[in-house]
Amino acid sequence: MARLRGAALVLPGVTWLVLFFVVPLAIIFVVSLGQRGAFDRVDLSSPNFNNYARAFDPIFLPTFVNSLRYAAITTILSLAIGYPIAYWISRYGGRRKALLLILVMLPFWTSYLIRTYSWMIILRDNGVLNSLLQAVGLTHEPLILMNTDVSVILGMTYGFLPFAILPLFVSIDRLDSNLLAAGRDLYASGRAVFLHVTLPLTMPGVIAASLLTFIPAIGDFVTPDLLGGPQTTTIAKNIQELFLEGRDWPYGAALGFILMVVTLGGTLVALRTLRREVVGS
Amino acid sequence: MSRERNPLLTLFAIGVYGFLFAPVVVLIVFSFNNARRGLAWRGFTFDWYPTLFSNDELLDALWITLQVAAVAVLLSTVLGSLLGLGLARIRFRGRAATETLLLVPMVTPEIVMGLSLLLFFLQLFDGRGSVAQLWVAHTTFCISYVAVVVRARAANMNPALEEAARDLGASAWGAFRYVTLPLIAPAVLAGGLLAFSLSFDDYVVTTFNAGVGSSTLPLYIYSKVKFGVTPEINAISTIVVALTALAILAAWRLGAFGREGRTIVAEEDAPPT
Amino acid sequence: MSERYDGSTIDLEKALVRYMVERQLSRRELLERIARVGSAAALAPIIAACTGASTPSPAASASAAPPSTGAGPTPSPSATPVPSPEAELFIFNWTDYLAEEVIESFEAKYKTKVTQSFFSNTEEAYAKLGTDGGGYDLSFPISVDVPTFIESGAIVKLDKSLLPNIKNLGTEWSDPGYDPGNAYSVPYMWWTTGVGYDSAKITDELTSSKALWDPRWAQHISMLDDFQEVFGLALIQLGYSANTDKAAELDEALVLLKQQKPLVRTYSTDTIATLTSGDVWIGHIWGADRFAIQEVNENVLYYIPEEGGVKGSDTVAVFSGAKHPIAAHLFIDHILDAENSAANTNLIYYMGPNAAAKEFIDPAILEDPTINPDQEIVDKLEELLNLAPALRDEYLKRWQELRG
Repeated sequence: MARLRGAALVLPGVTWLVLFFVVPLAIIFVVSLGQRGAFDRVDLSSPNFNNYARAFDPIFLPTFVNSLRYAAITTILSLAIGYPIAYWISRYGGRRKALLLILVMLPFWTSYLIRTYSWMIILRDNGVLNSLLQAVGLTHEPLILMNTDVSVILGMTYGFLPFAILPLFVSIDRLDSNLLAAGRDLYASGRAVFLHVTLPLTMPGVIAASLLTFIPAIGDFVTPDLLGGPQTTTIAKNIQELFLEGRDWPYGAALGFILMVVTLGGTLVALRTLRREVVGS
Repeated sequence: MSRERNPLLTLFAIGVYGFLFAPVVVLIVFSFNNARRGLAWRGFTFDWYPTLFSNDELLDALWITLQVAAVAVLLSTVLGSLLGLGLARIRFRGRAATETLLLVPMVTPEIVMGLSLLLFFLQLFDGRGSVAQLWVAHTTFCISYVAVVVRARAANMNPALEEAARDLGASAWGAFRYVTLPLIAPAVLAGGLLAFSLSFDDYVVTTFNAGVGSSTLPLYIYSKVKFGVTPEINAISTIVVALTALAILAAWRLGAFGREGRTIVAEEDAPPT
Repeated sequence: MSERYDGSTIDLEKALVRYMVERQLSRRELLERIARVGSAAALAPIIAACTGASTPSPAASASAAPPSTGAGPTPSPSATPVPSPEAELFIFNWTDYLAEEVIESFEAKYKTKVTQSFFSNTEEAYAKLGTDGGGYDLSFPISVDVPTFIESGAIVKLDKSLLPNIKNLGTEWSDPGYDPGNAYSVPYMWWTTGVGYDSAKITDELTSSKALWDPRWAQHISMLDDFQEVFGLALIQLGYSANTDKAAELDEALVLLKQQKPLVRTYSTDTIATLTSGDVWIGHIWGADRFAIQEVNENVLYYIPEEGGVKGSDTVAVFSGAKHPIAAHLFIDHILDAENSAANTNLIYYMGPNAAAKEFIDPAILEDPTINPDQEIVDKLEELLNLAPALRDEYLKRWQELRG
């Protein structure tokens, strides 16, 4: 009975995803087996896996490392910043909890491009931040912040922060304060309470936040493109270029699938190891 | 039961909100920039606000964006919440596969997703881009996010609660409505908020699935980059934020968020007073 | 992707009747049209609609239609009734690429509602347009891409009877290499690519593209995020063709560009943002962007490199899948009108091909040698061609190696 109910609950969502995600993806997979033909159209006369072999090109290694690096740092920062603020909203928000949460999201109902331009205005050589730093005497010359790793990671963390805060909040807010009180009795230091009581109990939230940050971050190419410089090219941009500039859809699709498999595989392995460590997930 | 205030944490929180709103402040300031394009400040003017109201294309684009977001949020929260709930609580065959299925849309590069839907609609329905296509596309990439958030919340929930309700005579729907739903409500809400942001700002997938008369705000704005984005865009963003803030404030004053934040905190968790 | 129709059946009779009803043509009007432009050209839209393929081969229709530049045995356009346009027109375009007053005057004159959809780069647009226009009637493909559109059947031969204003085109535009006789497209705007720099920050008088390699301005240099433009610049600087197919020359260009990379602040096509932001002092930019940047910072100067540079142009074309072909044609005619063309130029600061428009264009634009250079300079400029796929891969591979 429980089994049936589980299936019934997930059925609508799964059906939608199969119909509007898996099927279209299958079409692209078929495309990846073809070749770029006349007029840059897809030629499926002799499907093969050549594009996949081509895609394992060392040219893509630096950009793949970039994507990995940015995604990892962004995730860690988002968790590090997101957890305390989610905790603060949950414990001290009181009546205003929902309000505070929506306030977290509010900046993201402006347009992405304008927000990015605003970061350019803040981070540029004669921008708000540099002016401030020089005014208080911390620096004497403008720091080059725009078009570097710094601006990219800052921009990406900014963009993904709500995706960490919200799931973390949802999990932290469920904490039974009785458990916390008991924990404080058991452990002497606040840090021990956090490590042995709070963190494990909020682990589902941490995992959710990590997933919602890391996975999309690997595929993010717009932020590194707009805020970054010559050294910040990502693999997602390479894929984009293959599709649009190269007009080689099969090749782009193959590289895309390889990225997906690698990311997914890595994530699943990480999840399984994590689940084994954490009780009851 | 008193909760000691942690001033350090509060300071940190203020810092985080400052970080979140820093570009918004800059954006609002620059909506008064007396320069038609570019990122340099050239003095103060109110001009962009009135011109914005006569810019039909911009307003149409905003309307379409909001419409699509509304549909996407509605559909994705329903489908995603059910998905997350089912995955969290009940073991069934194919559960692992469903879990993986959930993650795949998030892993998919946007251009792959956008083009796959373009081809899908083109080949099967001769679709050339339309608002309906956008509804489908946006819903599709939002579902996973909602499901992951709801799953995390539901994972901690005691399934015995619902069974107890059933034992006490509630129908399946009643148990769901009065026990389960309130408990996952915050997660559903959070998922909905995320879905809205994703949909509102989406560019790549939308590019390939919009058609005539279905240009969204991001499409309009990115297209302006070639000749320079005007402060009109800042103006409209400012207005959207201002109106949203006002709406939320009004809702809060009217008690939509409940007393003592009780709709957020689960009943079983309420501290014993 | 498979073809939608296999072109095997043409139900001409039925399609003919539908065509006439849609366009409110009487039999007499249709026969007059056929007499004027030849049956192939007049009936092209029907055949296109039936087969989903391109119009009959240029050879066949060329014999039937009078050459567009010569004077055929045609009565003056005003004598024949203009077929009424459809109620709507769908355009796929950049934002701000058509003056609002031009659209409004068109809507008022023909009672046709114009709906514009937007794209932000040509590659995306082409993906969406596919082989029949993707639901749009009209767009602005880059000139060097027109041959591909013609071959794939995406755009249709123009019905010149609906384009009396085509006489306004300057003589040098009447028979471009990419589309002989302007059979399928009409030139819209053209531009140059060169170097823009802030003369307040850089006091030297610059004339060469080598300035973009100057270490004095390290971290304040920008290049376009466009592999053909960037390699084009490097190749021309080395004295080669911007469209070279020699691997050795490409490799040389790559070495040159790699030397430059540590000095470059960003590769970006959003030159208006980067050059007004203050971080970039000298950049590889498109000619017309300089006007937009100058609006904000009048110290910015632009030059076409003395080694030579790149020029480009775009066109207006009607798609084979267009549902409103008559409105599309009338719109093209509308923007070929001298005053309308000038209005467009005055808006976007690109120079049009319209000789008659010159008297209405803002004199500041006309006198600017970088927007409107002398013919001898124009002759030195090279157009970036639509590279064959294998060659394109060679460029793109090196580009990705550069950017990695």
